[in-house]
Amino acid sequence: MEVPPENPAAASPPVEGGLMAPATALERCVTGIEGLDNILSGGIPKGNMVLVAGSVGTGKTTLCLEFLVRGAERGERSLFLSVTEASDKLIQNLSTFEFFRADLVTNGSLVFVDLPVIYDRLGLEHEELSEDEIGILIRTIRDLVRQLGVKRLVLDSLTSVGYRIRRDERIRDFMLRLGLELSDAGCTSLLVSEIGPVAGRYSLHGVEEAIVDGVVLLWNTRRQGDILRVLQIIKMRGTSHSQAQYVIELTPIGLLLAPHLKGGRMEGP
Amino acid sequence: MPPVDIGERLRALPGGTAVTLKLDPREYADHYFAVLNATLRDVGTETDAHTIYVTVTNPASFVWDLAQALDVSRDRISFVDAISHIMMDYRNPLPNATYIESPRALEAIMLRVEYLLRKNPHPRSIVVIDSVNSLAIHNPPDLLTEFFHILLNMLKSRQVLTVVLEVGEEESSPVETMLNLLVDETIDVAREGG
Repeated sequence: MEVPPENPAAASPPVEGGLMAPATALERCVTGIEGLDNILSGGIPKGNMVLVAGSVGTGKTTLCLEFLVRGAERGERSLFLSVTEASDKLIQNLSTFEFFRADLVTNGSLVFVDLPVIYDRLGLEHEELSEDEIGILIRTIRDLVRQLGVKRLVLDSLTSVGYRIRRDERIRDFMLRLGLELSDAGCTSLLVSEIGPVAGRYSLHGVEEAIVDGVVLLWNTRRQGDILRVLQIIKMRGTSHSQAQYVIELTPIGLLLAPHLKGGRMEGP
Repeated sequence: MPPVDIGERLRALPGGTAVTLKLDPREYADHYFAVLNATLRDVGTETDAHTIYVTVTNPASFVWDLAQALDVSRDRISFVDAISHIMMDYRNPLPNATYIESPRALEAIMLRVEYLLRKNPHPRSIVVIDSVNSLAIHNPPDLLTEFFHILLNMLKSRQVLTVVLEVGEEESSPVETMLNLLVDETIDVAREGG
């Protein structure tokens, strides 16, 4: 005969925002993007390294920039490591959004660093980085994070760095070591991954998604010829999260999410 | 003499209510003007509310012209226009309108309504959807049902008064059946008058 527990609540997993939550809640990095925090049951677990994967024009960079701006507003120093676009141009684009505040850049709460400049200064000139050079790059990012007290970091993009690391085992090692350093510093990070429309693959090498703590996937889909931008949380360690698909819109006040209507039909990315 | 004034009925409804206003197609022009008068002036202006007018039937510029005739001020109304683009008629966009490329982009309608609610935080907000029939022309019933189910619940949770315009037909359509399940009240404009 089964004996009912004394405290029924203790026997069943707690429910957080309507989703099943783990028994012990981890400290959150509240993204500040309301819809995203809702589907993540309150935000990204602090220190998580998250892949933001998607093809061109799906809103990856804008999502990441808003994540940093919202963090800087909350007093969490935020760092954008740019590989593909010059910081000046990024800031110029960012200034078209109402949520952006230029003073966050001038007072040092929101820091932009062009990674190619770091490559030059460190003398990392080879097309393919050696193990030693990868080590130098990781230590440089670690020192930046520690010295500035960075709590949020975006690398845009991991794919571009991956083109210079090339070998699967080296990218795996780079990510494991970088993830450890950032987590130790209490820094939550988003790594941008540029992918083509290949189902089930979220990165250049295909090993990145196994190492990161979370994957946020963005893609374009069509309904009767009209394009919809869709977001889905594929995985997020340390929290319950929605597994549904959401249509997103990049509005002047920030990223907004709405449920992706299916009308009874099942669709894949 | 109509038994009840539509504006009076709407003014009496608490925030979070969803109501269908059923228009008679044979008296569409009169009913349509009566409905605009009730929603934009009687409720919108007189209760100091902000109205978000989602238009799929007529371009926002057309509705705005009528609203001006009713002395509705520009800061009292915002438009989500889901028809001008598809009509290739967006050369003179209104400053108080946001345009959606297609009435099939139902999620975009939800997101623009959400955007305008956040952009214009107001103690009393009204969302008018004009109309379920026009949306039904462009969207299959399953999708439209899902859309209304989510949108009406979202607006209910935000204490927004939602008014859905429906041009009534002799026989009950699947869309009308669906709306009856989702809204709190249906007002027949032909019976109630303006």
